[in-house]
Amino acid sequence: MRIKLTSIMVDDQEKALKFYTEVLGFRKKHDFPVGEYRWITVVSPEGPDDLELALEPNANPAGKTFQQAMFAQKIPIAAFEATEIQREYSRLRALNVTFLGEPTAVGPVTIAIFSDGCGNLIQLYQPANP
Amino acid sequence: MLLRDDAFRRLCRARELLVEVHEDELSIRELAREVQISPYHFIRVFEALFGITPHQFRIQSRLDRARILLATGRHTVTDVCMEVGFSSLGSFSDLFARRVTITPSAFQRRARVMVQVPGTLPTELFPGCLNLMARLPASAFRNFREAS
Repeated sequence: MRIKLTSIMVDDQEKALKFYTEVLGFRKKHDFPVGEYRWITVVSPEGPDDLELALEPNANPAGKTFQQAMFAQKIPIAAFEATEIQREYSRLRALNVTFLGEPTAVGPVTIAIFSDGCGNLIQLYQPANP
Repeated sequence: MLLRDDAFRRLCRARELLVEVHEDELSIRELAREVQISPYHFIRVFEALFGITPHQFRIQSRLDRARILLATGRHTVTDVCMEVGFSSLGSFSDLFARRVTITPSAFQRRARVMVQVPGTLPTELFPGCLNLMARLPASAFRNFREAS
């Protein structure tokens, strides 16, 4: 077995697709209607291109409770690696993304947390050069 | 936007307050005062953080709750309307039909047919944790095989 798919719960799939592609810069891979929802996955143009992130509806109340509690405790639900975090931070700030702080060195990484506007906090990180 | 810790906590508190249902409901302006943010500024920063305005968030959380009550309980549509904080059945039904695409009573009938175990939520209407995958067409997995 291998790790091929991971997912993130979002409060509005259409809004999420727009944010994850147009703002974050990921590429849409799948978009199938499933009942009243959609199966949407995105991949990063920086690779690996067969690792998909599903933008799942957080329609289940258990998911919603989990998501809101994590958010309120300032706990990121996913982390994306940046090659140059400062440049990524400036680019996203210019696109009106809300950050909870500037990129900060913490141990072996530099991190910055932002809101995806779909109910999640995301951690952007750049590992220090070895 | 760069949000400091203090503002972040106040906005999270405001979101909790918006979910609550009271007889004397706080207006958005009163709610902003409650968390000590100026009303104009409040709507702007709330939307920047949560991707939805306070008013829309309140409506959305009420409709979410209505969906659960309609699917699981033995409440009438009128009971559900009042329970989640709407005062007019007409505006509740209109809003529900617009957002959920079917009327509350049609949603209730549909959900009840799907419920296998009383009290549980049908996963078709309340999916979570990747269970939409089971209902994808086979073609959705073609790429999975190609890559392996």
